[in-house]
Order: sequence, then structure tokens, then C-alpha cells
Amino acid sequence: MVSVGIIYYCIGYTGFISTLNWDGVSPDPVHVGMANYSQALSDGLFWATIRHTALFFVVTFGVQSILGIVLAALLHSKVRLGVLYKVVIFIPVVLAPAIMAPVFRQIFSGAGQFNWLLQHIGLGSLAQPWLAQSSTALGVVMFVHIWEWTGMSFILYFSAMGQVDPEVVEAARIDGAGNVRMLVSIILPSILGTVVALAILNLIGALKLFDIPFLLTLGGPNFATEFLGTFIYREIVPLGVLGYGGSLSIILLVLAVGTTLVIRVRGREKGGV
Amino acid sequence: MLEARSRLSRVVLQLVLTVLTVPFLLPLIAMVQGSLAGRGWDNYRIVLAVPQLPYFFRNSAIIATVTIALVYICTITAAFGFSKLRIRGKEFYFWLLLAVLTLPEVVLIAPLFVTATKFNIYNTYWAVILPLAALQIPFTVLLTRTFVDGIPDGIFEAARIDGASTWRGFVYFIVPLTRPIAAAVVVLTLIGSWNSFLLPLIFLQDPNLEVITQLPSYFQGQFNDDQTKVLASAVIGAIPEVVAYLSLQRLFERGLSAGALK
Repeated sequence: MVSVGIIYYCIGYTGFISTLNWDGVSPDPVHVGMANYSQALSDGLFWATIRHTALFFVVTFGVQSILGIVLAALLHSKVRLGVLYKVVIFIPVVLAPAIMAPVFRQIFSGAGQFNWLLQHIGLGSLAQPWLAQSSTALGVVMFVHIWEWTGMSFILYFSAMGQVDPEVVEAARIDGAGNVRMLVSIILPSILGTVVALAILNLIGALKLFDIPFLLTLGGPNFATEFLGTFIYREIVPLGVLGYGGSLSIILLVLAVGTTLVIRVRGREKGGV
Repeated sequence: MLEARSRLSRVVLQLVLTVLTVPFLLPLIAMVQGSLAGRGWDNYRIVLAVPQLPYFFRNSAIIATVTIALVYICTITAAFGFSKLRIRGKEFYFWLLLAVLTLPEVVLIAPLFVTATKFNIYNTYWAVILPLAALQIPFTVLLTRTFVDGIPDGIFEAARIDGASTWRGFVYFIVPLTRPIAAAVVVLTLIGSWNSFLLPLIFLQDPNLEVITQLPSYFQGQFNDDQTKVLASAVIGAIPEVVAYLSLQRLFERGLSAGALK
């Protein structure tokens, strides 16, 4: 309870800062009311980060869910060496983004392994400096995020599927359901709750995103991978514009809580959660 | 789930699984291969010879251990309270707690910074441990509460009739029965604290207090982006986590399936 107290104190304090024009050190900050908020709403960079976040959420959640569900279903079937596959899929989750970022910077650099691979499967014409141009950097950030976190989705889908009643599966099988039919009509509805829960977690993750873009690209090139997290960091730490950063933080918080509630309520209407 | 009656379809399933899994492995291979490029094992020798390396490990270990202990104690007691005790307005508190799930640490930097300097814990472990634990607890409480909900109330009533206090009920039933979910809590907190990057970066300025996630950047500054040593230090930083996950893997999975999000 105390720790929650600390955090709520922090929110209140951020809310207070967000109405100031303050650099964090000067003794008497100027009170500017809502000016920081209107500045944010007319800031092109702010809307760019929102667009990146939305795109990021749709792509990463989609890919992670499909991959996670298919992998979980496959590993619930009779396959050999199941544990080995599970470990390989989950290991990226335990590795720190800070540890893996240099590795991915290397892989996707101009002379990196990814271009090497492309050249060796006959797609050499596609080789390019993936992280150094704004058209592809966001894609790489999404790829790295998917690589890191699919294991988490997978393991939660895997355990949710473990609770599907085997008799239902058996009955559907006797009625002649094929594999795809089974996945769509039997398994998917019974793990809907997990899908909704993961949608919320992924959305929060997308809004909170900081480590991967910060470490891979610092939000660049040309702000192509700027997310709310890196944007706030830039305003607060290197630029020292605490007031503006604070108001951005509050906007982020409202977005996170708001969208979570919307998904929860809609999920409940559909019988999930 | 999916069925494969004939031998052929079984091979196909296995093949699909392998094709989907290999991309997860490739970056790891690239990492190890890159770390051995140039001067081979010498890269590792140089990284291991970094004078601060033992400190990095020690600091990460201290932060992770204390965070895990804090999170575990808070989570188990909170989950027990939320699930089994009659407290007025507990659902409201539960929602307050869950709202914290949505908080990014970036938002907290400015207020935490001011708070930490005010309480004189800036540049100490506590400035990292407390926020880390606070940010971890909501998710672990959410998981653990679902798990504790699954323990029948009857056990406690029986214990009470036999004269056991709430505290003894907690110690003798909850603590042992929640062991699987506790493994999940430990693994998740270990991941969160060992991997934390932003909080130590900002709150631990003393080079002797830096943590393992700062190891790659050490070589980026010091030796002008010496890629092979950066990769070698990445491998060294990754090993403890992989070992910890592998040794807890069974318990971890059992805990997650029992407390699965619903």
C-alpha cells in the first residue's frame, strides 16, 4: 500500500509540474496553467508519436497473437522436443533490451547479418541500412519488440489452452472438425479472455514503450521511431523542459487508463474477461 | 490440440513449428558468433577483465534480490488480503492498484528524481529498488490473486475452527500452496529488475554502483564502439538470466497456468 502511495504521490506531483514552465532547478517556476497542454496538441511531433504508437500496437499485437496462438496450439499437439521449443521461444523475454539492443544494431546495420542473409537467399537487392533510414527504422523496432515479447504471449496462451476441456476437443473431433476449424471454433473462443487481457497489456506496453526505440535508434532517424516514452525522456532529461514533459506524461497516463477501460468494458460486453 | 494421424502430417506439424521457432534463435546465434569475431575468446577475456565488472554483477544481484524479496512479501500478503479477507472497499483498492499497471517509468522520472533527492536516497540502491518494486507489484498481485482465489475457503474455516489465527492460516496454507505462482512472481520480478535500464541509468551515477545492463554501453564509450566486445558483454550479461529461467522453468510454467489471466 505504501508503494502505491508513492506512485500516486508521483502522479499528483507530475500533474502539478505539468502546469508550470519549469526547468527543474530554478527556484521560482512560473505558473502557466494549461499552456503546456495546448502546446502538446499543436505539436506535430506529438501527433507523430501517437501515430507510431497506434501502428506499433496494431502490428505487434496482431503478429504476437497469431504467432503465440499458433505456436501454443502446435506445442499442445504431439510434437517432439516440446520443451526445447518452449525454452527457445521464451528466452528472448528474459534477455534485457539493453543487452540485446547492440546485437540488433549489429544485425540490421549496413554490413550486418540480416543483409548477409538477404544476399545469400537471392534478395541482395533488398539489402539496405535498415536502422539508418526513416522508412525502415520503425519496422525494425517493431520486429525487435515482437522478437522480445512473443514468448510472453505464447506462454500465457499456452497455459490458457491447457484449461480447454479435452472432452470438448474430442467431441468436435468426432463431429469431423479439421485442424483449422478446431483452432477457430473451439480453441479461440475459449481463450478469448486471455486475448483481451493480452490486448490490454500490449496496448499499455506500446504506450509505455521506451527501452527498445531509445537503445536502438534514440527515436531517430529524423524522429521516425519517436514514441511517447522517448519523447517525454527527451523533454525531461536532456532538454530539461519539465513542465512540457510533465503535461505529456499526464496525457500518456490518461490515454493508458482510458483505452484500458474501453477495452475492458467492450471485452466484457462480448463475454470475455 | 491439433491432430496428426498420419506420419506425414506429424512431420509437417514439426516442420511448421521449427520454421516458426528458428527466427527466435537466429539473433542469439548472431550474438554469440559476433562476440567471437576478430580476436575470438580474447574478447571475453578483455570484458571479464573490466575492473568494475564484479561491481556490475554485485549491484544487479543486490537490486534484483531485494526487489524480489519486497515484491514477494507485498504480493503474497496483498493477494491473500484481496482474495480471502473481508476488508471494506477492497475492490476499489484493487482497481487503484491495477491502474498503476498503466504507468510508464518515464512518467515517474521527474517526480521520483525530486523525491529521491529530498529523501537523500539519490545514488543509492533504494532509489532504484523502491520504484522497481512498486511498478512490478500490480501485475504480480493480479496474477497471484487469481491463483489464491482458486484455493478453497473451506481450508481456512476448518483451520479457524481448530483455533488457528488468520496469521497462522496464512503461514501454514497460503505460503506453501502458492509456491508455483511464487515461482512465476520471482521469475517475472527477476526479469524486470535485472533488465531495468532507465532507472539505474538515472538514479545511480556513481560508476561503482552501475548495473549489468550498462555493461555494453561501457564499451561503446570507452573503446569507441568496439562491436565485438559489446556483443561479448551482452552474452556475459545474458547468461545469469538464462540459467535462472532454465532452473525455474518448470515451476514458472505451472504457476502461470494456474494463475492464468482471465
